[in-house]
Formats: sequence, structure tokens, C-alpha cells
Amino acid sequence: MIAVLSALDPSFLADVWAFVEKNSDELLAGLRRTLKVSAIAIVGAFFVGMILGAARAHRIPIVSQLAAVYVEVIRNTPILVQIFFLYFGLPQVGIRLEAFTVAWLAVIIWGGAFNTENFRAGFEAVPHRYREAGLALGFSRFKTFLNVTLPIGGRIALPSSINTYISVLKNTSLMYVISYPELTTTALQIQALTLETVETFTVLAVSYLVIVWTMSFLIRLLESHLALPEER
Amino acid sequence: MSIPDWVEPVARYMLTEGLVGTLKIAAFALAGSVLVGITLGTLLTIKFLPLRALIRMYIEVWRGLPILVTIFIIFFALPAVSLQLEFDAVTAAAVGLILWGSAQVAEATRGAVQSIPREQHEAASALGFGWVGRHTFVIMPQALRRLLPPLVSLLVNIIQNTTIAQVIGATELLESGERQVERLTAPPPIGLGEIHAFEIYAAVMVVFFLISFPLTRLAAYLEHRLV
Repeated sequence: MIAVLSALDPSFLADVWAFVEKNSDELLAGLRRTLKVSAIAIVGAFFVGMILGAARAHRIPIVSQLAAVYVEVIRNTPILVQIFFLYFGLPQVGIRLEAFTVAWLAVIIWGGAFNTENFRAGFEAVPHRYREAGLALGFSRFKTFLNVTLPIGGRIALPSSINTYISVLKNTSLMYVISYPELTTTALQIQALTLETVETFTVLAVSYLVIVWTMSFLIRLLESHLALPEER
Repeated sequence: MSIPDWVEPVARYMLTEGLVGTLKIAAFALAGSVLVGITLGTLLTIKFLPLRALIRMYIEVWRGLPILVTIFIIFFALPAVSLQLEFDAVTAAAVGLILWGSAQVAEATRGAVQSIPREQHEAASALGFGWVGRHTFVIMPQALRRLLPPLVSLLVNIIQNTTIAQVIGATELLESGERQVERLTAPPPIGLGEIHAFEIYAAVMVVFFLISFPLTRLAAYLEHRLV
């Protein structure tokens, strides 16, 4: 309540603005790293999810079982522990990864597992007769997948995969624990130097809300644009 | 192959201190999320715009923020506003998880309450129930059936997200593991001067898997059974 009241105070807004102007270089650099890691991870998670989701839906032997194990392990363990394992655990067995590498790798692995499930469900929801029609027209199994299952199943999977992408972006904030200087880490460094605590966290929270809300708004537009004809 | 000597005290510490801490934070967070979430979700079905806008705002803000940022705000920013708002790490983590979890529950509750046919509301009103009685004794018991699968999934998410409390130093499983990694790294009188991060973090993953996997199976089963 006090926080809300002080936020309504015009001098507080001026303080926040002064804080942003003073630290804009660092904040923008942090924001850029957050967006860069998220973009890499979203593209990566899209391909991991599409390929493994297809393997799961078409029950391709061995690949499908391995993908199932991968999905269950990642979905049933906290991403923060996965980050700790990659960054602090692996060096013990001789695998040293840079903070940036762990940053994008961890969210690709995490997002890829959730996306595998999203795409599997999407592909399995494509009516059987569509695939049979594709095969009957002489398309190979692979061509049938590319021309029939992927465009239809991918769209069915779109809403749930969008939620995964937004979670991927939010999870990049966890890279704070490996000191990768994305938005959250940068903001906390500035806070430690300036002790302008309330200003720092106001800017940090507003930044994430603006990104997440813009992202879900733009993606919903895309979603209605890509909706299956019968659902429009 | 025998188990090395360092394992036993480490495992005991992680299970008695760490796991207990994790379960404690998770229990608070679950209870709070369900109470606040069901209340807000039910209120969201009232057709009174300012109230709905306010609850919508609450949901979108706490769902939009990364949980880590929410917990930082509670732990670092609130005491800077007023010293009365200073919380210990466990409470701050639990409150952060409640804000996030209740937003999830509120959204699910709205759907569940709206899925109950109108006739149920009308019948309850005809029997003389007021708004509160109608929702407590007639609508919610039926809506809970539909809410059960998402609530089990929420429990899994809450248990996994309790690890975020590690960042502010609350005693939970990941934090207890990290303390043991650091202790073992220290030179002999205190530790062994050895690094066992690989085994310990792998063990943390195994424990979380053993808790989460049955629950995700249960959620899938309930979804299949009840809906």
C-alpha cells in the first residue's frame, strides 16, 4: 500500500526517471543481453520441440524413447538446479562452459523439453485422415509431415508453445546466479553501487512487464493471423 | 564399490535441513496460493468492472514478472520503503510464490466456476442461499473437481520454484546442497579440499525428480479421469 502511494507521488516518478537516465547505458546493455539470450533460446526451443515432438508423435523408435526421458527429466527438475549443474557441476568432470553459453543452453534445454510436449500434442491432434490423404496422394512420409502435419499441428501447438517462449524469457532472469550480466543481474549491480533500491526494482519490474505484455500481445496477433480456417 | 565417507553427513544435512525447508516453503506457498487464488478467481466472475479490472491487474502483474524479480522486490525493495516490511528469506520466498501461484489459481478458478451450469446458481438461490453461501456450498465443491488437475500441476511448479529461494539464502534443498559443496571444498579441518559439485547437484535433481514425477503422473491421470 505504501509502495503504491509513493509510486503516485510525482517526485518519485522524477526520481525513477533520473535513475533511468543516469544508468541508461548499463540498463540497455543488460536488456540487450536478456533479449539476445531469449531470442537464441526461443529459436532453439522451436527447433528442438518441432523435431523431438515429431519423433514422439510418429513413434520413431529409440529417438522417441530418448526424447520421452529427456522431457520427463527436464520437466520434473527445477531449472535453477539445471543451471547449477551445468555451471558449477560440469567443471568437475572437465566440461567448463562460459556463463553466456550456460545462459542460452540452459533455457534451450528447458524450453525444448516443454516445447516437445507442445508439438507432440499438436501433431497428435491432426486428424488421421489428413495424413492418410497426403500419403494417398503419393507424398512420402517426410513430405506428408512437412506439408500436412507440420502446418496444421504446428498451429494447434501455437498457444501452448507461446506460453513456453514467454516462460523462457522470464527464466533468463535466473542467470543472475551465474552472474551473467542480463537485465536482472545488471539491475542488482546498479542497486549495490547506488543503493537506490526502490528505483532499481521499479525499473526492473516495469521493464519485464513491458516486455512480457508486449510479447504476449504481439504473439496473440500472430496467433489469430495463423489460426486454422475452421476456427476463425 | 563402497560409498565414500563424505556422503552420509552431506545426505543427512540435505534431507533433514534442505528437504524439510523446501517442503515447508512449498506448503506455505501452496496453502496461500489456493486460498487467495480461489477467492480472487471467484470474485473475478462477478460482473462489476472496477473489481474485475483490479483482479485482472493483479493476475497480469504477478504472472508477468519472473518469480525471482518478485522475490527480490519483497526481500530487498519493501524494507527500503518501510522497515516494518522486512521479511526473513523463507517468508519472502513464500510470499513471492503465493503472489505468483495465486495468480495462476485465480485464472483456473474463473474458468472452473464459469463452467458450472447456470441452473446450479439458480437452484441454490431458490433454496435461499446468498452469494457467499451459494459459492461456498454449491458452486465451489463442483468447481473443485475441475480445479484438481491444475492444482496438482501447480504443486509441482511450486515445489520446483522453491529453489528460487536459494538466491536470497533461504534454507532449502538447493541451498543446503550448495553449502555442502562449499564445505567440502574447504581445506581439511573443515572440509576435504575436494569438489563434489557434480554429485551433489545431480543428487538434488534426483530428489526433485522423485517428488515431481509421481505428481505429474497424478495430474495427467486426474485430467484424464475427472474432466
